[in-house]
Amino acid sequence: MKKNDMKQQLLQLGNGAHALATQILGNTDDAADAVHDAFARVLSKPDAYDARTGGLKPWFLRVVRNGCIDQIRRRRPADNAVDELQDQAPGPDVVVEVAQRDRALQNALAKLSAGQREIIVLRDYMDLSYAEIADVQEIAQGTVMSRLHRARMALKEELTRHD
Amino acid sequence: MTKQRQVDQHIGELLSGLLDGELTQQQRQMVKLHCEGCAECSENLESLRVLRKRIGDAALSEVGEDKWREHMNDKRVETPRSIGWILFIGGLLVVAGIAVSAFLFSDEIHIGMKFLIIAIYGGLATLLYSVLRQRLIERKTDKYKDVEI
Ligand SMILES: [Zn+2]
Repeated sequence: MKKNDMKQQLLQLGNGAHALATQILGNTDDAADAVHDAFARVLSKPDAYDARTGGLKPWFLRVVRNGCIDQIRRRRPADNAVDELQDQAPGPDVVVEVAQRDRALQNALAKLSAGQREIIVLRDYMDLSYAEIADVQEIAQGTVMSRLHRARMALKEELTRHD
Repeated sequence: MTKQRQVDQHIGELLSGLLDGELTQQQRQMVKLHCEGCAECSENLESLRVLRKRIGDAALSEVGEDKWREHMNDKRVETPRSIGWILFIGGLLVVAGIAVSAFLFSDEIHIGMKFLIIAIYGGLATLLYSVLRQRLIERKTDKYKDVEI
């Protein structure tokens, strides 16, 4: 893929990638760094993307996600932060920095596990297919529907509790 | 499966599958049939539909394209590695050039010895080149390898 074409497409993915990184890292500034680093990695090697293996979107989101996981590893090198990723609680700044009208949603999301927030953003915000979600999260495709449904039900529950 | 039994079991995750368009034809019909006879599941389906839209319409990130364009055009993104390599390889070439010319034009080394040493290094360079070339081909054909760059 030509570098300029890739740049154009990546621009469209910036916000979605940032939303995903925010849900993983729990902090919008760290998330912006993660997206920035992902741009740098991808654009320094645009040939690494092979269109025959799938869309640019899931591929790029996977690079972003891996970068976030590396960032968590660097942040807390002593313990198994990545194994705990699924249960990690978000930082307080996520809640503060989002727009007013989505605050209730953001609050409810913050109550879910990182893995649940992630899968909801990938499907309902980024519009990825189940196959693409499995690819990004590196989980079996057959488990996507049940994980997603559980995450949505948990989110619904949180929303009705506070609405 | 009787209707009562279907109601007992409810539809669960297939509701999400239906909304996401990820069900088979058969599953779709099964879910629709169930929802016609089950108020709980059809309400659940509707509330999930609303929830999906709410998330889709939400502003979960408000950075904006212009900001990302700045990120992309940031010099740190575009140049550091390539400049590093150019300086490194350029410097190496200059040093190697001086060494090679000093060696070739030296009067103290016998001409036969010169040929011998050229042969040894020439062979080494050929080997190195073939290894590098193979690596390059492998990298291009291995489609998953570079995902986690
Ligand atoms: Zn039901």
